[in-house]
Amino acid sequence: MNTEVSVLYFAKSAELTGLKAENITVPSNITSLQLWQDLETRHPRLSVLRDQVVLAVRQEYVPLCAQPLSLREGDEVAIIPPLSGG
Amino acid sequence: MAADQGQDLITLTTDKLSADGVSESVTCPSCGAISLFIGTTRDNFEGKKVIRLEYEAYIPMAESELRKICSDIRTKWPSVRHICIQHRLGVVPVTEASVIIGISSPHRSESLEAVKYGIDTLKATVPIWKKEIYESGQPCWKENKECLWADDGTDSKES
Repeated sequence: MNTEVSVLYFAKSAELTGLKAENITVPSNITSLQLWQDLETRHPRLSVLRDQVVLAVRQEYVPLCAQPLSLREGDEVAIIPPLSGG
Repeated sequence: MAADQGQDLITLTTDKLSADGVSESVTCPSCGAISLFIGTTRDNFEGKKVIRLEYEAYIPMAESELRKICSDIRTKWPSVRHICIQHRLGVVPVTEASVIIGISSPHRSESLEAVKYGIDTLKATVPIWKKEIYESGQPCWKENKECLWADDGTDSKES
């Protein structure tokens, strides 16, 4: 079953895509790795972040892996490059 | 005397931060100690002159991660009274504060330790990013070595 989610881009990922946010439709049981690969297909320049990025789904960090995300309609998925707060 | 309810005061703002303001916000009559950490903008990185930093945040998640840090602090140091964490967003000129953490406790060791824990954990977990703008050359998004998914090749990697 497909779900529409909002993808939020921050820092380097926003510069690479030229976007702050976009809505995409994906299978609700997509894995975090598959979702990243989907985004890389849409925005090939994201590939430079592949080894240094995690996602945040409903504001919880999720590494890129085979874990199904159980996405719900309207969920926020944020692209999280390495942090540099403080 | 009834126990005060300890407060977690979290602020993300583009306004200039005030150490006095943070200190006053955590002051309480039963506390003998207030510990403060102020993170300021340095003017150099690897020989390059830094003109300013620009900060960006995933704001709702940054706030929730900061609340988790406060909760962790209260679990580890139950005597801590008030916690104030302020992080500036947007442009921060050199020498100005980008982050201030203030914590009060009855005696000094708890607030001192909790402040260190607070800044160390903030750097590892809070979704805030900074870009260094140099006098010449390309700006650079910084990466905290505390962040688990940063490149662990060098201390402060440029990207």
